[in-house]
Amino acid sequence: MLQLQQISLVQFRNYIQQQFSFTEKVVGVCGLNGSGKTNLLDAIYYLGFTKSYFSRNDGQNVHHGMAGLRLQGQFLLNDEPHEIVSILRENNRKEFSLNGEEYKKFSEHIGRFPCVMIAPDDISMIIGGSEERRKFVDTILSQIDRNYLQHLIEYNKVLQQRNSLLKQAADQGNINEELLSVFNEQLSKNGEWIYAQRLFFMESFLVLVGQFYARIAGKDDQVFIVYESDLQKGKMLDLLLASRQKDSVLQRTTIGIHKDDLLIKMGESNFKNDASQGQRKSLLFALKLAEWQTLKTKKGFSPILLLDDVFEKLDEKRMHNLLKWVCTDDDGQVFITDTHPARLKQQLKEVGAGFQLIEL
Amino acid sequence: MQLPSQLLENAVAEFAKLPGIGKKTALRLVLHLLKQEVDEVSHFGETISKMRKEVQFCKRCSNISDTQVCSICSNTTGRNQQLICVVENIRDVIAIESTQQYNGTYHVLGGIISPLDGVGPDQLNIETLISRVKEEETKELLFALNPNIQGDTTIYYIQRKLGQTNCKVTTIARGISFGGELEYADEMTLARSITNRLPIEQYVR
Ligand SMILES: Nc1ncnc2c1ncn2[C@@H]1O[C@H](COP(=O)(O)OP(=O)(O)OP(=O)(O)O)[C@@H](O)[C@H]1O
Ligand SMILES: [Mg+2]
Ligand SMILES: [Zn+2]
Repeated sequence: MLQLQQISLVQFRNYIQQQFSFTEKVVGVCGLNGSGKTNLLDAIYYLGFTKSYFSRNDGQNVHHGMAGLRLQGQFLLNDEPHEIVSILRENNRKEFSLNGEEYKKFSEHIGRFPCVMIAPDDISMIIGGSEERRKFVDTILSQIDRNYLQHLIEYNKVLQQRNSLLKQAADQGNINEELLSVFNEQLSKNGEWIYAQRLFFMESFLVLVGQFYARIAGKDDQVFIVYESDLQKGKMLDLLLASRQKDSVLQRTTIGIHKDDLLIKMGESNFKNDASQGQRKSLLFALKLAEWQTLKTKKGFSPILLLDDVFEKLDEKRMHNLLKWVCTDDDGQVFITDTHPARLKQQLKEVGAGFQLIEL
Repeated sequence: MQLPSQLLENAVAEFAKLPGIGKKTALRLVLHLLKQEVDEVSHFGETISKMRKEVQFCKRCSNISDTQVCSICSNTTGRNQQLICVVENIRDVIAIESTQQYNGTYHVLGGIISPLDGVGPDQLNIETLISRVKEEETKELLFALNPNIQGDTTIYYIQRKLGQTNCKVTTIARGISFGGELEYADEMTLARSITNRLPIEQYVR
């Protein structure tokens, strides 16, 4: 069981210095627009992922006009207390520690305190470009297997080097073939490994997404997702050799797992084009809850679920089904934000689980 | 900073060019020199310019040297001349020498392959290494590069360039954290890595 008991925020976003205690499994957070609900959820996410869900640049997380920030969380994991502290120093150096021990590599922390966030902008995962969907899948796999993140980092480094070589070769009019071969091999080795992991993962994951979709939507819209990868066409090394000419002309690597995508279909048509807003939202929830379920199965405990503004997204009945399911069928901790205290209170009461309401 | 002398200002500007030295520190150093005897400061200056003028890079291994061939390369009795340790830069030579665990020779590449940083094989002492191994019938090539992906690229590349050879190719053991830098490893870890060096077939994941 994973539970956040207390969090303290110093100079994080709109918070200058504040502390919150969480006593219940279900925590409602309410407040007006701009009161800091999303920021509070992001602070929790930050402690699990060593970074913000929303901003790449840590500087943006610091309260305007101030230098440095500090987040501290007291967690209970399988009845053992754990303390996570993240400090961004005035010189922008970041320290991240678990139980007083500083991480040398932040990537080692990923997956130990899993969280799943559902935020309004996440809908871009369904309607936007393939990068968002790969990021989603990578985030799950990185939390399950630390080697995955390592391989992915290496793959991306080699990819950059290879692209850089292709660019320089185009400028100079000739290419160092041996070096290209070395990059091909390094890329293929990591690429094949990642492909195998993704393929194995998708098999059960995509089924789970379908089940969740049906449960949330309450009907069968014939929504299904297909994993697409260049590597389905052959060994990556052969594909790289075959695309050699094309890569040289375009000055970048045109095949590989960095092009993988999830194709979402609804019946015969493309979900992206045809789905209604409600259907998109249902699918977003299905994807995220499948993530949550997968992590739960792998870890043996539920990840913390961070639901930002979900009431704006689904009709009341669907919302009720969903809440009931995540709040009562399970031992996990859930944070839910809403602008209307009364609505939130009402919903949580109906669900019947013990809850706590925080007003910002 | 407003200084009363152009000469002083020039000296401060020169010191401030050094890594890790700002204008304030530079001024402090210059004022310190100003307090010294003229002879002493002349000696200081001459030592520096003599060092720059006369230090050579070993013809064979590119290590720093007072002579055309460095003291390690010319020590044919105490040093195994058929063992070459390949390093990125001179700081790595110094780091490995201070472990006192190594009795072969070196080859300083002068960097690591990284097109992203504008460093291709041609900018490095790789051709000289290949011909050296062939001409000298080297028995073993020991790679002591930073254990990261660029280090790997450089090793694979050199191996490819070497082609079929009787020379054994090894690398220091990866006891040191992956992604770290050789320069900052403690001596114990570094010494152990050299003692536990591995054949390259075993080391590739
Ligand atoms: N670095 C920062 N320094 C100071 N204030 C910030 C910083 N970043 C964001 N804010 C402030 O935080 C507030 C936004 O907080 P947040 O997004 O958490 O609100 P919210 O309660 O989720 O609102 P909504 O209901 O509209 O989603 C804004 O008023 C914004 O000005
Ligand atoms: Mg918000
Ligand atoms: Zn020499």
